[in-house]
Amino acid sequence: MANPLRLYLACIKNTLEAAMCLQNFPCQEVERHNKPEVELKTSPELLLNPVLICLNEAEKCLIETSINSLRISLKVKQADELENILTKKFLRFLSMRAEAFQVLRRKPVQGYDISFLITNYHCEEMQKQKLIDFIVQFMEDIEKEITELKISVNTRGKLVATEFLKQFM
Amino acid sequence: HDQIVSGIDWSSTSNKIVTVSHDRNSYVWSLEGGEWVPTLVILRLNRAALCVQWSPKENKFAVGSGAKTVCICYYEQENNWWVSKLIRKRHESSVTSVAWHPNNILLATTSTDGKCRVFSTFIKGVDTKDSKAGSSAESKFGEQILQLDLSYSWAFGVKWSPSGNTLAYVGHSSMIYFVDDVGPSPLAQSVAFRDLPLRDVLFISEKMVIGVGYDSNPMVFAADDTGIWSFTRYIGEKKAASSGSSYSSQFSEAFGKFYGQSKAATANDASESSKSRGGVHDNCINSIVPLSKAGSPKVMRFSTSGLDGKIAIWDLENMQEELGHQF
Repeated sequence: MANPLRLYLACIKNTLEAAMCLQNFPCQEVERHNKPEVELKTSPELLLNPVLICLNEAEKCLIETSINSLRISLKVKQADELENILTKKFLRFLSMRAEAFQVLRRKPVQGYDISFLITNYHCEEMQKQKLIDFIVQFMEDIEKEITELKISVNTRGKLVATEFLKQFM
Repeated sequence: HDQIVSGIDWSSTSNKIVTVSHDRNSYVWSLEGGEWVPTLVILRLNRAALCVQWSPKENKFAVGSGAKTVCICYYEQENNWWVSKLIRKRHESSVTSVAWHPNNILLATTSTDGKCRVFSTFIKGVDTKDSKAGSSAESKFGEQILQLDLSYSWAFGVKWSPSGNTLAYVGHSSMIYFVDDVGPSPLAQSVAFRDLPLRDVLFISEKMVIGVGYDSNPMVFAADDTGIWSFTRYIGEKKAASSGSSYSSQFSEAFGKFYGQSKAATANDASESSKSRGGVHDNCINSIVPLSKAGSPKVMRFSTSGLDGKIAIWDLENMQEELGHQF
């Protein structure tokens, strides 16, 4: 597609490669527990600086890392009201089925449309490269999906309106 | 153990294995009649234990923990168990790695607060005041000798060189730190390298260090004659090798041989179901351990274990010419 999009995705890919260096780390606050530190934020020394990558005002990606987990939050482009509603519904559909995705977070982080939570256990079970490819692929596909949905909604609207108004002719 | 075994060390002369786990417990296993029998260790920890190492004389071992303390354990004959003394002060975060100095008294620790510290662990009744140890024998237990604030990020994998003169540890910001003449006026060097951070290091000789980490490929660092450390090369090829034991590259014969072997010891926390692919390690390499014949000063073989569940043994015999005369 357009060059800026390629650069945006390449930038996210490189950041993820550097950020996805996770290791098993037991909780310092509670004994015998093992929690994703990026969600709890109880020990500031275990968190790294969050990185915000923006394609333009409407699209951005926030990557927060800690010693055993990584959170990626995306904001998808929404040009008009219709796309707004479509995005919300579509991403809600995906988030509800977060268990199937494993790395998806059920609720997006405040201010974003969708979030992923990757822990060290995911990195152990799955290949890091494949995880990164999945996220980047996801971002590319979302846009195509939303556009397709918009076109089909518009087409259907036109058909319905034509049929309805025929009776008045 | 109820939770994952986070650290394990095998003492070569007394043939004991010590294991520590995230469930705050530790056991010392001795071989009795073909079976490994655990002995209780009173650790007095209230958080997970992260790492363990036997001291050079094998009469003590050190455990680093998430409770921001280090436990030094020694054997109490009357009750047949191992008792611990804690170094409680000084650490601001979890202790990720510990390493004993060859004199059996000094201990270096790294922590997720980014600092590397050297403590004295002189215990009356266990350590003898040795004229060789010099000034370190007069320090109290738990006294901090040195604090190194070189890293901005978490520190892991500290090791002493065979003579105890140099200390090396890695930081998460893709840096490796070398400190010479550890003492009142240390000389520190930081080497930044291009790729992903390391997790653990090993001194092959006084002037050569191998680092392993998220790149899944061991890296060699060497010091030249003036004592300046720098990154030399990767040991394996970056591209995945074809299935089989040799690499398809120009350095094929000279490089390490790969064969996987499973260690006959208690639980290995890094092992998952192993996948059989080409290439040596697919995932992050967690630790590197030397395989040396008794008495030899240089380490010629070492093994690496990684998150992909593989253990690889590397042989440096053929690499000597490639690595240069510094070896």
